[in-house]
Amino acid sequence: MKTPLLLVCALLATAGSAQQFMTRAGSVSFHSSTPVEDISAANAQMSAVLNTADGGFAFQVPIRGFHFEKALMEEHFNENYMESEKFPNATFKGNVVGWSNAWADGKPHQVQAKGKLSVHGVEVERTIPATIQNKGGKWVIQARFEIPTKDHKISIPEVVREKIAASIPVTVNCTLDPR
Amino acid sequence: MTRRAVGVLLFAVLVPATARFQPDLLDVLNEGVEVPVVPVSATFKDTRVVNVQSNETAASGVLHFVIAHRFGRLNEGAYALWGLDNASMRMAFDYGVTDRLQVGIGRSTLRKTLEASTKLRVLRQTTGGRTFPIGLTLFSSVFCDGLRWTEPERTNYFTSRLTFVHQAIFSRKFNDDLSLVLVPSLIHRNLVPTPEVEHDVVTVGLGGRYKLTSRFSLNGEFHPFVTGRPAGAQPSLSLGCDIETGGHVFQLHLTNSSGMFESAFLTKTDGSWGNGDIYFGFNLSRVFTVRDR
Repeated sequence: MKTPLLLVCALLATAGSAQQFMTRAGSVSFHSSTPVEDISAANAQMSAVLNTADGGFAFQVPIRGFHFEKALMEEHFNENYMESEKFPNATFKGNVVGWSNAWADGKPHQVQAKGKLSVHGVEVERTIPATIQNKGGKWVIQARFEIPTKDHKISIPEVVREKIAASIPVTVNCTLDPR
Repeated sequence: MTRRAVGVLLFAVLVPATARFQPDLLDVLNEGVEVPVVPVSATFKDTRVVNVQSNETAASGVLHFVIAHRFGRLNEGAYALWGLDNASMRMAFDYGVTDRLQVGIGRSTLRKTLEASTKLRVLRQTTGGRTFPIGLTLFSSVFCDGLRWTEPERTNYFTSRLTFVHQAIFSRKFNDDLSLVLVPSLIHRNLVPTPEVEHDVVTVGLGGRYKLTSRFSLNGEFHPFVTGRPAGAQPSLSLGCDIETGGHVFQLHLTNSSGMFESAFLTKTDGSWGNGDIYFGFNLSRVFTVRDR
């Protein structure tokens, strides 16, 4: 009689300690701006997970989920620049620096996520500033950062160099639900 | 004994929940996610390999403008600057009604031919969650010879000007670099020179590209006859390259066909590579996004 009760307690304890927050519908967009041409694309298929036990954080973005205004831009983005058949996802894996449970106070907090950003199959150690806010039991994460194409070995040929920015500003917005 | 068992059980259940046991967070993201079905894109850089249709169509809302030239024969020699003194031209507009359906019109200086076509992607090659090895695209076109009647005094019928071409384009992108098409073609000519000549001609063509860099590929195609080979006609053989620069694709090639439309290069090629009856030419395409996606 005692054993099942203990087991149930144990299972509940396990469930309660799963402090993971997650989404599969985060949004990422970028905008390349040059005097010659503005190019922007948006993606609503970003998945992200935050572990509030230790501040572990990761996200994954399917490259083919980026949609452009012009079909040919999208084809070139996948085919020539990101080589999405070879490198289907961009990922980030790391930690929110100095994670504190006191941040769950409903106010926005400026934090830094430190970890490995992998784009075009090339991993770069990055510290990315972000804003996090706990809203009604959900975590809202916003970040703006730049991806220098050179760092990730994304080659831009001479003929289009005037049309594509060397460093691409990226905006991330996601709301993570408890898992 | 029972207590010990409970203790072990508790340990077994609780330990995974502590921070010591951390599954990779990226694996967590992929847990239980179905692998998406991904249509294979960019099998070819343009809607044609050299002369023959590739599996590609203009994207939805995109107007694809082609301007193409074939110069004279290389064996005309220095006097005609190896053919460059002469040129025949084709202009065409193809429009993507959807990502799968394209309609087009074109005009060639060769026999003042006007054409209208439809092209439909029936099956797409896919990878990912569900793989399908090939693509199938259907192409149909009607060609109207625009030359004045040679014998205007006799009764001439408009329908005599028309030729119809139907093609099934089987395509496969083997890897990033190599793509091939197999293209059976049926050409129906309403008017033939003599009653003994068959109206229908069948060819089975093979075309392909091999990418040397992400913006440069070598292309080739060959269209041997199966039935109805017209007297004096040679199978069309073309070799060339694609050069892509942003919104343009330049295709430069050498071919024994002077005609740039299906009924001409498939049934009226009279040049022989062996004799140097080779035409230098190019296709230049430019896309315009005319309707928001």
